[in-house]
Amino acid sequence: MSLPQTPYKYSLTQPLYDWHPWNMKWILFFGALIGSGICDRETFSGHQVFRINIRNEDEISKLNRLVNSDNLKLDLWKSPSTLGHPADVLVPSFSLQEVKSFLEDHGLEYSVAIEDLQIHKEMDSIVKSYPHLVSAVKIGHSFENRLMYVLKFSTGKGRQRPAIWLNAGIHAREWISSATAIWTARKIACDYGRDLVITSILEKMDIFLLPVANPDGYVYTHTHNRLWRKTRSVNPRSTCIGADPNRNWDSHFGGVGTSNDPCSDTYHGLHAHSEVEVKSVADFITNHGDFKCLIDLHSYSQLVMYPYGYTTSRVPDADELDMVARNASKAMASLSGTQYQVGSVGSTVYTASGNTIDWAYDNGIKYAFSFELRDTGFYAFALPADQIIPTAQETWLGLKTIMEHVRNNI
Amino acid sequence: MQLRRQPLSAPRPGDTRPAAQRLAVPLLLLLALQGAAASGGPEDSGWLQDAEPSSRLLSQAARAALHFFNFRAASPSALQVLANVLDGRSWVNQKKEYKFDLVFTTEFYSAEEGEKRLGKCSAQVFFRNEKPRPAVNVTCTQLVKKERRQEEDYQLYKLMKQLKSPLNAVSIPDSHGYIAPSLRPIWDLAFLGSSYVMWQKSTPFLHYYMSQISSVKQWKTNDDAIDFDYTVLLHEFSTQEIIPCRIHLVWYPSKPLKVKYHCQERQTPEEASGTEEGSAVALTELSNF
Repeated sequence: MSLPQTPYKYSLTQPLYDWHPWNMKWILFFGALIGSGICDRETFSGHQVFRINIRNEDEISKLNRLVNSDNLKLDLWKSPSTLGHPADVLVPSFSLQEVKSFLEDHGLEYSVAIEDLQIHKEMDSIVKSYPHLVSAVKIGHSFENRLMYVLKFSTGKGRQRPAIWLNAGIHAREWISSATAIWTARKIACDYGRDLVITSILEKMDIFLLPVANPDGYVYTHTHNRLWRKTRSVNPRSTCIGADPNRNWDSHFGGVGTSNDPCSDTYHGLHAHSEVEVKSVADFITNHGDFKCLIDLHSYSQLVMYPYGYTTSRVPDADELDMVARNASKAMASLSGTQYQVGSVGSTVYTASGNTIDWAYDNGIKYAFSFELRDTGFYAFALPADQIIPTAQETWLGLKTIMEHVRNNI
Repeated sequence: MQLRRQPLSAPRPGDTRPAAQRLAVPLLLLLALQGAAASGGPEDSGWLQDAEPSSRLLSQAARAALHFFNFRAASPSALQVLANVLDGRSWVNQKKEYKFDLVFTTEFYSAEEGEKRLGKCSAQVFFRNEKPRPAVNVTCTQLVKKERRQEEDYQLYKLMKQLKSPLNAVSIPDSHGYIAPSLRPIWDLAFLGSSYVMWQKSTPFLHYYMSQISSVKQWKTNDDAIDFDYTVLLHEFSTQEIIPCRIHLVWYPSKPLKVKYHCQERQTPEEASGTEEGSAVALTELSNF
């Protein structure tokens, strides 16, 4: 039996540097999603703000050439009034690469607006587009004083209702988690009134969504170290920065699967809820008092898990949670065949004390789940842009499965 | 994931191994494994069979076996990754030695879109005293015909000889998960070298993925062979640490791979730039150089 003749894997004619759209798609993604009327469309109108340093007359004329070029469609937000002051230029998605090349080729210094502002911009946009359903809730600030920005989806007209918490981006390098969350936010808003399941959920419950639970870490993965995991808090007796926010919760704090070394990526922190990012969420949920479900999104490994993490022993509600998790996994596989395995955190990945869903479960939130999204280790944290939407779409099916079960059982 | 239990030596229906690759381990260990297996009883050699082997442990052992397989095959165009563990058993004894007997499926690492080919391997993996560098006996079905594999390797080799060195401080993949097609051969060769390191470092409780090539130091093609010196970031489970490893390999198609490496074990206090800053990293751990 001869093998099919596919072309050789390695082509000798490829140029060394390829212009490619992947960078663009990740940047674009956090721009505004145009989707009115169609909830699943993939059009973006992403943009970035470039701050360009202008040091002499020559650079002014270069800048003018750039801004005036017809096809790039640039928008000069702030022109350099005097030399030495930077210019701010709004660059649409399709021109990003060309602008960067131009600036670099001509030796112009520039910096680019960091993407967390774009996630927040997108959240603003959702609130603006769906004012009767969505509101912004500011639950606190990060260590470096960034906003902890939560979207609240509610038809309750101000009356408190049983609620669902969707948590994302608690680990900085797990970008697909935040990307999925922001896609989900727009999906919830758009599908309300169109999709029976989400509409019936929102008739009875509120949904709170935190796309970037660790904003300092998230920014750091863009500016310094793509593989940063923890918060960026200062440790009093160490030069190492940050604690693992998924080991910092007040549930078997400091137990198995954590480290007391501030330099470790699973350092639990000085004490439970020492990380302000964790404390902000914990306090909000506790003060609210009526959360029924919490789902924490991570990557990678493709898993749907329930408590506990601190032990391999089963929780009292294991049978029900396992069934719900299996249904969620089945729903997720129905879209593209992606397999998500199911089990408790402790028996599926490793023991991890002080994690989010252990705390949730111990505080009366029975339906506590942790997702590990795509993939299984090929691209790992650096998941390519063309997998964002497929991941978000399949995850949505899993989230709906869980939320629907919660709605029917409270 | 359902595990089916079958006797160790029973032939499996449909199991064809027309041209399986056989890879050797030290004879003594092989005999030890066979001795324990043939007796079958849990009380022999102090081995206690795990009644419910954790799927996680089995997967980790399978992964370690596959790293070893990839290293020994020394074929960057035909790297395989773990798909599913079909069957697995594990034993442990009082000396904290772990033994695994596994059957698992694999996929092509570099599968083109739509090209989904599954391979199948059986392996015995033995960890001494919870330590790394397990002894591995693994045989796999051949996913690609030998001639084709050699031709692909040679294509890769030709491409790399053409590339100018050194590459300008690129991360592969970049932050957004992108690997330029022209850099793909580098990634594959780096993964081959990393396979050796990941095998060496695997314990029953620690396993690894290759996250990123963080720098390429040097790139020579003396005497014909590709001489490749680079730093790779390994993601370690379950500590979640990112381990930078400096790897130096020498490769020529169809020849065994030569690898030296040094991993930075403890995370140093924060620095803005890469891990090579400061003192030169001495490559101390030698393999078959």
